[in-house]
Amino acid sequence: MDEVKVMDEQKRNESLNRPVEHDTTQFIVTQLGNEQYGIDIKYISNIVRMQKITRVPQVYSYIKGVINLRGEVIPTISLRLKMGLSDDEITKKTRIIILKLEQHESIGVLVDEVKEVVTLDDEHIERPSYDKDEKSKFLSGVGKYDGKLISLLDINAVLSDVVDA
Amino acid sequence: MDTSQYLEIFLDESKEHLQNLNTQIMELEQNPENMDTINEIFRAAHSLKGMAGTMGYKRMQNLTHDMENVFSEVRNGTFKVQPDMIDVLFKCLDALEEYVDNIQQTTDEGTNDNEDLIKILNDILKNNGQVKGGSSDSADAAPAESAPAASAESAPAENASASGASREKWHDIKIGDTEKMLIEKANSEGLKVYGVSVYVEEACVLKAARAFLVFKALEKLGEIIVSSPTVQDIEDEKFELSFSLIFISGNTRDEVIAAIKSVSEIEEALCEEYKLGETAAASSQESEKAAEKPAETKPAEAAPKPAPAAAKPAAGSAAKPAAKPVVNRTVRVDIEKLDNLMNLVSELIIAKNSLVAATATEGKDTNSAVNEQIEYLESVTTNLHESVMKVRMVPIESVVAKFPRMIRDLSKKLDKKMELYMSGEDTELDRTVVDEIGDPLMHMLRNSADHGLEPNDVRLANGKPEVGSIFLDAYQDGNNVVISVRDDGGGIDIEAVKSKAIERGTITPEQAENMTEKEVIDLLFLPSFSTAKKVSDVSGRGVGLDVVKSKIESLSGEVEVKNKFGEGSSWIIRLPLTLAIIQALMVVVGDEKYAIALGSIQTIEDVSPSDIKFVQAKEVIHIRGTVIPIIRLNKLLDIESTADENKNLTVIIVKKGDKQAGLVVDELIGQQEVVIKSMGKYIKVPKIISGATILGNGDVALIIDANALI
Repeated sequence: MDEVKVMDEQKRNESLNRPVEHDTTQFIVTQLGNEQYGIDIKYISNIVRMQKITRVPQVYSYIKGVINLRGEVIPTISLRLKMGLSDDEITKKTRIIILKLEQHESIGVLVDEVKEVVTLDDEHIERPSYDKDEKSKFLSGVGKYDGKLISLLDINAVLSDVVDA
Repeated sequence: MDTSQYLEIFLDESKEHLQNLNTQIMELEQNPENMDTINEIFRAAHSLKGMAGTMGYKRMQNLTHDMENVFSEVRNGTFKVQPDMIDVLFKCLDALEEYVDNIQQTTDEGTNDNEDLIKILNDILKNNGQVKGGSSDSADAAPAESAPAASAESAPAENASASGASREKWHDIKIGDTEKMLIEKANSEGLKVYGVSVYVEEACVLKAARAFLVFKALEKLGEIIVSSPTVQDIEDEKFELSFSLIFISGNTRDEVIAAIKSVSEIEEALCEEYKLGETAAASSQESEKAAEKPAETKPAEAAPKPAPAAAKPAAGSAAKPAAKPVVNRTVRVDIEKLDNLMNLVSELIIAKNSLVAATATEGKDTNSAVNEQIEYLESVTTNLHESVMKVRMVPIESVVAKFPRMIRDLSKKLDKKMELYMSGEDTELDRTVVDEIGDPLMHMLRNSADHGLEPNDVRLANGKPEVGSIFLDAYQDGNNVVISVRDDGGGIDIEAVKSKAIERGTITPEQAENMTEKEVIDLLFLPSFSTAKKVSDVSGRGVGLDVVKSKIESLSGEVEVKNKFGEGSSWIIRLPLTLAIIQALMVVVGDEKYAIALGSIQTIEDVSPSDIKFVQAKEVIHIRGTVIPIIRLNKLLDIESTADENKNLTVIIVKKGDKQAGLVVDELIGQQEVVIKSMGKYIKVPKIISGATILGNGDVALIIDANALI
């Protein structure tokens, strides 16, 4: 059964004459303040509009609270506060990105704006140097796209902190 | 015929039938002459046979066929149920279960013909109910034969004789003064007064219409002065198969009967001349009369389904109504479909809320019809939401129902007398949890039976009743469901556990010295630890308790042990209601809504600020003789209180065991059923929050765990 599927996939790729892309990654570009951050698309399960967040008492300030996502209660964090920026200002463009890491439950991340989806070649991604400061420890690299610089978030690093907290 | 698509239904239903058979045979063991039970068993065995046959499972079909034969004879009263027979039947059930398990795993029933069982069953048939052949001399079998047979026959016979008189229901018609006057007047005028009872055919569809035609026919001949039931009830079809009336006419009895019979679908028309004063005679038999109708029409069936009250005592034994007199009308649904449905409902609620919000911002001049419809939509979605939530909850009964049988078998195997007492089988848990707790509970019951209860002679020597008791209790406690397995056996021998642990090198003798009882008991949950002197079939391989513990923990529950050496031990499983519905009080603190489980709330008090006293710099109130510390929820939850400081405080008194505390809230909203949702593991939720719930409007509200506050 599985084998058949795999073969189908291969066939389809061949028939589409699609080059097998190994070294590109798709990112969703989000705006935080005046910087742009990219989140690997494979972690993103959903993007929803701002909705009512229920505050949870006695937790870290960057944890905004919980939201109701189709009947599931999902914790939501502020990426701004997490990155050491000023608190979120809720506007019409504010979005909650629902992330789903393997073997973890879903979590929402509050961003100022979701801009676009970009596909970056590995050669356009600059890996960070070793001297990581407070902010760059959450980054996996910097991507260059269309003359802009996009900080690429290391989602596991961002969230591992939350899990440990 | 390709039957694979029915396989799942077949498996589900066979398991249900097997469980039913298990329960009924247990019942039969207690009460070997209960015809209802025997009938139920026969029916279940018969259905099972039919299903197995359809699916092409020949071996299974053969075995059930022979079981059915035995029961058919028992039902006919050829022989009585013997204790040995019960054992054989249980073995058959085990064999059937094996078939079903095989089918589930491989879609094949396996190759075990169970010839020995079939032979025993056939021997039973040959030897008139004796399990082991030979000893069936006629003297033995005769009394066994006669009792059920006689009672089965006598019942319809009595009914038939009694019914002749009582079928004339018009005797029961109550006569008022007006009617009396009319009757007397008719008598004086030389007209005849008839009492008439009319029976429509059982298959008649339009009873009211037939009755109407009868009335019409009679009205041509004379005057109907009273009827029972009333004309209105008859028109509304509020009557069984018969109605009676009193009728004044100049015609003869035969003419009246002929008139009634001219209407089709009338089974019988009874008509006699009516005399005043006869009425009181038969009134007491009303209930019997209602019952005898089916008994007479079908004399072969001893206990028809609606269980006629009068026929029952005649049937001889202390017959209880069969466990399932009415067929449950249920539908099997894949749990994934339910999840799907629930998500859709939640989305619907969100969509509805956006609609509400949209019309609110639209301005005040929105059409009132729109608002009305939105309100209607709101109530429908709320109800829908609740219903879907409830569908997922199932009583733990489906899991625990098999335990009495298990304990019975263990009792025989271990040669210890024991009884299982169960309570709270209707406690509801989420379906997924219910499916998982069966094995852990079984392990614990086995432990209680094997290790917990002492052998009978030891019990007697210790001044305990010979028969050991095991209790399985389930109940809801706040946000938890508690299932406890308790026995009145010897309890855990702490010293024995210690020496065993030292012997195994798990702990050192020095460590053992300093260990608390609880720590010692925790050793029992380590893998491969068993204090049983010898490994038995039942338990003692040391694979039990660690499995129990990990299973319960995987359901985010916990196991607690209470032990009294010499008096028994209880094993308490506490499972959180991850998806349970609780009754909660909704309160407002600041501008936020919170839910507090109703179970922990004792009272709600209105307290004047001047009543608050200080003890050790902590606020307390004095209510009905108790000093209760108060907790200001707004401070605990870091919110500005919206309540006026000079006004009375709303204090919710919560309790945990003997301890109490008063929670100060700003406002009460009311009682509501809330569904507890997990908040996930990402955020370390403070202890005072036990979960979250989604309100009817789609908002999330947190649930305050009052127990953690005390």
